[in-house]
Amino acid sequence: MDGRDGKIIRVENVSTTYEGEKRPAIRGVNLALENGELVYLVGPNAAGKTTLLETINGLQPVSKGEVSVLGLDVRGHGSVVRKEIGYVPQDFMVEALEPYTALDVAMMGRYAKMGVLRRPEKEDFKKAMEALGLLGVEELACKPVGKLSGGQQQKVMISRALAKEPKVLLLDEPFSNLDPSSRQEVSALVCRLNEERKMATIVVTHDIRQIPERCRRIVVMNGGRIVADESPEKALAALESCQNIGAEEAVP
Amino acid sequence: MIWLELAIIRRAMIGCALTGFLTGLIGVFVVRMRLTSIGYSMSHGAFAGAALGVAVSANPLSTSILFSAVTALLIGPVADKARLSQDTITSIAFPLNMALAFIFLALSPQIGLSSEVASVLWGSVISISNSDILYLAILCITASILIHFFWKELFTIMFDRRLAEADGINTKPFVYLMIFLIGIVITLSIKLVGGLLVFALLFNTASTTLQFLQDMKKIVLFSPIAGSAMCVSGLVASLAFDLPVGSCIVLVSTIAFAVSILLSPKRKRKEVKESS
Ligand SMILES: Nc1ncnc2c1ncn2[C@@H]1O[C@H](COP(=O)(O)OP(=O)(O)OP(=O)(O)O)[C@@H](O)[C@H]1O
Ligand SMILES: [Mg+2]
Repeated sequence: MDGRDGKIIRVENVSTTYEGEKRPAIRGVNLALENGELVYLVGPNAAGKTTLLETINGLQPVSKGEVSVLGLDVRGHGSVVRKEIGYVPQDFMVEALEPYTALDVAMMGRYAKMGVLRRPEKEDFKKAMEALGLLGVEELACKPVGKLSGGQQQKVMISRALAKEPKVLLLDEPFSNLDPSSRQEVSALVCRLNEERKMATIVVTHDIRQIPERCRRIVVMNGGRIVADESPEKALAALESCQNIGAEEAVP
Repeated sequence: MIWLELAIIRRAMIGCALTGFLTGLIGVFVVRMRLTSIGYSMSHGAFAGAALGVAVSANPLSTSILFSAVTALLIGPVADKARLSQDTITSIAFPLNMALAFIFLALSPQIGLSSEVASVLWGSVISISNSDILYLAILCITASILIHFFWKELFTIMFDRRLAEADGINTKPFVYLMIFLIGIVITLSIKLVGGLLVFALLFNTASTTLQFLQDMKKIVLFSPIAGSAMCVSGLVASLAFDLPVGSCIVLVSTIAFAVSILLSPKRKRKEVKESS
């Protein structure tokens, strides 16, 4: 189920405008990912990184241009496409009293793909537990998620996306609550799974030191546009320059 | 005469048990799917509709279904897009529906507070008919079956609707199904509890259960039982003290909620946290 010429994600000249806003949050964005490609997405706050991810999975309606994932236009096939996308939203926090365990949350990753009216089987529980295990939180499976620490919750949310066994993985600042050693581990895990499972993966991060060797492509966004899409060395120079411009603009 | 009364009381008991079951069950979804403001507005829409039914001597059941459906259609899309805050929606819908209800009641042909008007306002035991019981029973079974079959979708939506959507669940039909069930449950409960108080049933039982239990499955299984128990005890209290049945049921359920807040394990933990 690949797209044209083997591109699994194809974003063509896309603008996305939030409801009630006049200015588009992202403008004229072009991006294509091959099967199994690993891309890091960086840029200052309000650059449009989250908006781009949610445009790719169809949560935000495209106002101009075309987005296709797995060869399907997200406008018409949003929920079909999303069944193949593992998405970890930015800063997703669960309230302390929510009546859901970590395993419940990981299982939800399986539910949508399973289809309506089908019941979860042993296999699904196994996959969910495995996913929790990958993140090293399987012993928390029966604990309420709301009572876990921020970092533990983040790991559960990543497990949920992995339990789905998606073809595309979109991670929005998945390391923000993790301690340095967990960052290292989870970052290595993402690399390993990207290679083993051939998932096209986009990771948003502010921590450029964390970008692994394996990643050969960095996309830099600023002010709703992609300003660089290159090898790490060049892209990071571009990021630096746009941060400098940002700093100059901030001084009136 | 005694036999007749016994038959009425038995019917009222069954009616209360079924109403409690339904409101307890659906209430969990009202609270967890953040449908409280739409449910609140729909219950008063249903009240206005029932009042219209009395005024024009039509079947209050059909007019109140009509009104709560119109309310849902008017504010559903608005609430869906969240362009208006929930407070705004309820603050406008509540007085509007009340104003309509009182106009209809004022226009109703009977003089004073006839039993029919009274039943619309605060519910009555006598007005429950065999066909009401039948509808309630059918609705209990239908709602339970629907929830059973769509459990994993509803479960995911109750955790977070946006995340469910991101997973590829088409959430709209499930949310609308719930709104539809809420409307019917409200309409069928009005005769017993009265239009002014019906929403309390949807909210109180579920909130009480949510205070105590931390497992979604157990919550959905236990809440209908708690609802039945509260409604039947409310009925007993109303018969014992000769008070309106709806008020008694709401009082019982509010007391249960208050006690649950005081005793809840969640609350205790919170206090420990705050004092430390
Ligand atoms: N729900 C919304 N409604 C209106 N505008 C929004 C909404 N969400 C984001 N925006 C705007 O869109 C632009 C891009 O926001 P976005 O969240 O995509 O940035 P980001 O790169 O993810 O930033 P951060 O690093 O802070 O997460 C910002 O100017 C923001 O104000
Ligand atoms: Mg963001």
